[in-house]
Amino acid sequence: MVACISDYLKKIWALSIKDMRLYYFKGPTIVMGVFMPMFLWLAFMIGSSPSIGSAVAMLLSISSFFAASSITPVILPWETRQKTLEMILARPITIELVLMGTCLASMLYGVFISLVIIAIGIFLGVCPANIPVLIASILLSSICYSFMGLLFSAIPSDVPADAVLLSSVVRMPLIFISGVFVPINRLPILMRPLSYVSPLTYYADIINDLYIGRSAFSLGIDFLVLLLFTIILGIFTIETNRRTIIKRL
Amino acid sequence: MVEAIGLYKSFGSVEAVRGVSFSVSRGEIFGLLGPNGAGKTTTIRMITGLLRPDRGRAFIMGIDVHRNPIGARSHIGVVPEVSNPYVDLSVWDNLVLIGKLYCIPKETIIERGKFLLEELGLYDRRSSKAKTLSKGMRRRLLLAMALISDPEILFLDEPTSGLDVFSARKIRSMIMGLRRNGKTIVLTTHNIDEAGMLCDRVAIINKGKIIAEGTPDDLRIRYGKYIEIKVLFDNSIDSSVLNELRDHYNVTCDEKWVTIICEKNELDEVLDKIMNIKHRLGLRIKDLHIESQSFEDIFVRIVRGE
Repeated sequence: MVACISDYLKKIWALSIKDMRLYYFKGPTIVMGVFMPMFLWLAFMIGSSPSIGSAVAMLLSISSFFAASSITPVILPWETRQKTLEMILARPITIELVLMGTCLASMLYGVFISLVIIAIGIFLGVCPANIPVLIASILLSSICYSFMGLLFSAIPSDVPADAVLLSSVVRMPLIFISGVFVPINRLPILMRPLSYVSPLTYYADIINDLYIGRSAFSLGIDFLVLLLFTIILGIFTIETNRRTIIKRL
Repeated sequence: MVEAIGLYKSFGSVEAVRGVSFSVSRGEIFGLLGPNGAGKTTTIRMITGLLRPDRGRAFIMGIDVHRNPIGARSHIGVVPEVSNPYVDLSVWDNLVLIGKLYCIPKETIIERGKFLLEELGLYDRRSSKAKTLSKGMRRRLLLAMALISDPEILFLDEPTSGLDVFSARKIRSMIMGLRRNGKTIVLTTHNIDEAGMLCDRVAIINKGKIIAEGTPDDLRIRYGKYIEIKVLFDNSIDSSVLNELRDHYNVTCDEKWVTIICEKNELDEVLDKIMNIKHRLGLRIKDLHIESQSFEDIFVRIVRGE
């Protein structure tokens, strides 16, 4: 049993390393994972004058979100097009292990980008109130966002742009309703219920709490809801991809 | 070693595979032959666990492929028809990745990888990205990737499809070498001569069903009762003159060439009739060929249900 789990973990890691090497520097990953959140942040910054703490919190919230969900939509369509998917699936692995490897690579990308922003914040003299809680929230939210990104790749297309487009259509509105730029209590009343069904709301709430001491929910609720989103998205994503992945062959 | 029992698979209203059963013994090269769209690749995908059959079961070394896909696949190497190595990884990194998916120790991957790349003539290119390789070299790399786990059974789906003559010959000679090393090989092909050359036993599949099975020689004896007689006259002849032959045999006429297909035991009779025509029209025979049917002709006849 232990040997079996150890083998599974080794296989997930091997697949993940492959994804890191192949997809971290691909155009869509860099554009959607690094430039897009940066330009959105800059667009908001111009004309407003938030404190450095708020600015770092905003950048961290959207960067983690975009980075961790930028690779997963691309990998399966790309591998379908490159004709590598059947080659890899014919090995002693399951579809679930392939998806886990993909999610791990995506999650680590989100974590890496987040750490860079935290380091920049520290360099500018902005420190989070509680580093272990911050790290825990980044890890959990990155898993959640990578599952979310993988959900977009369930459309059995071999055009990566299709999945990227679909993911953008969903991710963009989430930025504006999740309390990243505008606090939830200042959102129009009709939009507030929508913000509660976005996982970004709870991550942004944790980050705001740790950087500027402002939060809409307690840390416990934020973590609990984020965990629920992660579990539900994980199950739904794996099941959806399991149904559609064969159509890619 | 490999057993398929009553496999069925439909895609929507299309029945791709309808009750395919066969078994392959240790050390055998088994060929699954058929025209495009016959159901070969779907059959291989079901046996290797990539597709779940609607009905039927497949076993690899006694392991039910769909109950324990990882266990079954750890005994096999697969080269799918439509597949590529990772083009942005080097030749060596492609091999190492596959080795890790079989949980092979690092030292073994290095030792076996070096041996395979040397055998397959890719060692000098080990640091090159796979995208810089020719199609034949990529196919050889895929073969090396399938062999890195030293599998007992190898599935090769159209191994020489789209390759030039030299690359195809190299792949064929490798397959022969693998057989000498005791590997069990299941290959699909629509190249009939290749199957005749390589396989110990073949199954001909058409419209999702196996319609003939046996050694290539068995099939030649069972279905190859026809011969082809080609005659070149010194002058073109009026096609109507050949009507007396057409009543009994399959006859085609192309200016001076006349081709007659008849059963072997009718040879004497047909030659008499040809000599009659020759004398009657005052023609001279400039060339004459009598050939048994090729394995390809036999395959065509079987597929057409003749």
